Amino acid sequence: MTDPDILVVGGGLHGLSAALHLARTGRRVRVLEARQVAAQASGYSAGGVRTLGRHIAEVPLALEATARWHRIADLVGDGCGFHAAGQVRVAETQAELARLSERVARLRAEGWAHEELADAATVRRLLPAVAPHVVGGIVTRRDGFAAPLRTTLAFARAARAAGAEIAEDARVTTVERRAGLWQLRTREGDLHAAPLLLNAAGAWGGRIARAAGEPIPLGFNAFQMLLTDALPPFLAPVVGAAGRPLSFKQSETGHVMIGGGHKGQADLDTGDVRLDVPRLAYSARTALDLFPILRDARIVHAWAGIEGVTPDELPVIGRSAVADGLVHAFGFSGHGFALAPLVGEIAADLLLDGVSRHPIAAFGPARFGQPGAVSETRSALLQPAG
Amino acid sequence: MTAAETCRAVIVGGGPAGRAALAELPGAVLIARPQATAWHAEPGHVWVEGGGRVWAEPFDILLVCADEPLLLAALGCAVSDGRVLTDAEGRTSVPGVALAGRGAGAATPQEAERQAVAAARALRADPRVLQLEEARSPSGPAATRLDPVALASLLEQPVGPGRNGPALAQRAILGAVVPARPVSLAALAGLVAAMPEPIPPQRDEGALA
Repeated sequence: MTDPDILVVGGGLHGLSAALHLARTGRRVRVLEARQVAAQASGYSAGGVRTLGRHIAEVPLALEATARWHRIADLVGDGCGFHAAGQVRVAETQAELARLSERVARLRAEGWAHEELADAATVRRLLPAVAPHVVGGIVTRRDGFAAPLRTTLAFARAARAAGAEIAEDARVTTVERRAGLWQLRTREGDLHAAPLLLNAAGAWGGRIARAAGEPIPLGFNAFQMLLTDALPPFLAPVVGAAGRPLSFKQSETGHVMIGGGHKGQADLDTGDVRLDVPRLAYSARTALDLFPILRDARIVHAWAGIEGVTPDELPVIGRSAVADGLVHAFGFSGHGFALAPLVGEIAADLLLDGVSRHPIAAFGPARFGQPGAVSETRSALLQPAG
Repeated sequence: MTAAETCRAVIVGGGPAGRAALAELPGAVLIARPQATAWHAEPGHVWVEGGGRVWAEPFDILLVCADEPLLLAALGCAVSDGRVLTDAEGRTSVPGVALAGRGAGAATPQEAERQAVAAARALRADPRVLQLEEARSPSGPAATRLDPVALASLLEQPVGPGRNGPALAQRAILGAVVPARPVSLAALAGLVAAMPEPIPPQRDEGALA
């Protein structure tokens, strides 16, 4: 392929989903990935497929994306390890349960019924090993989890099969718009040009945007996760907590994954991460408080992935406010994995048609430059990473 | 009191090499299984589990006298073809960190002791920066990246070459593989009593490069 129609920066899940959707329209797509496919957050995510606790603006996208997860094999030819095991957000106090109740009532008022308030007995039926102090929670029955690396590689395979080209070890160093073309040069000196550009560079998306002349505030986190040794099955749904960061699930192999938002330190220039052991310890403590069955478990693996984080913890999805032919899809703030099957379609529509039929106004790149325009962040429950 | 005397030294491994190192580095902290297990290391301290708790043992110089390549790899020591690279005195590519004994190829207790003495003296005298280049054998098979659950399955295998070799191959793809040895979840949980203060996202003002 010598003259792509579209360049995609970022070989993570969102970039690859967009490449797949674009390639299936017959467009020539080239993905430029600085390292290898799924090298960063896409391969390290907890794999949560979650509508539960989403910011109100994200709820429609999360519901639609989850519907696609239920038929993910139709999209990418692989089940992606998706299990519709449900998700449960547990309350440890009556005050937390009251907040969850308010949340469910607000969703009902908006016309959504996917989050169900559950009493203690219902939670205990779903989570027989949960600690006795848990007083209730919220349940979403169609949520679940998938295997992040398998999923990302499945999207890469499907995109390639549809005709997309994926260039690995292609770190973009310059971005210019000349004569109606986006011209991107990589560290190796290769020049790639196309009329359309998708910025799906994850935590590096802010750098791509700045280079394109559109400053968008983006920080980053190194969200940490733990895996125990393989334990006998005791848990099916994904579990979160209302009052402290937690994402907790048991894989088919019996390993228990504990994450949720406690951070290490990362270096965007090198991609290196450093774990923060005391914060890992608090994740372990939360898990042990809620599931005493873990008292004899051993931690066999710990890691962190780098995620781009916006000031309002909502993604940037939309056409550039300053440049032609540029669309952004980055800054998913630790909870973008579940949205990927849909975000790829949205990005493709924005690039090809200029509009999306999905409600994405809250995610516009220009929102940070408008006084008072940043969306409220308190309408979501704690957003566990992954 | 000289700088060498105030230097905090930690020795990992209680075999012949570890005991010989302790004789050369009086006052050093010896971490030896089964009483204490070094399960992770970061610049300046080793994380230890023992007696049902977890703690950080600070060091200025670290001499690993056990076959713990993942512990050294976590510190950033150069590794090539499954072995931690050292100079003739056992110093690694990380200043102040050395290796002796079985992990350095010692075939006998006597050789392990000789290595430990040499490494301890070298560390004490000159914790220099070495330029040891990592290089993977061009003829070696390329490792396939494992997802976290598959890597966990590998890391829960008994510690030894069959586990450490593939784990080091993953390190070449993923970066440091942590922890070097499994650690008790309950002991780790006991390290902190209260939720740490939230920390804001890291800022990025960088440019493409």
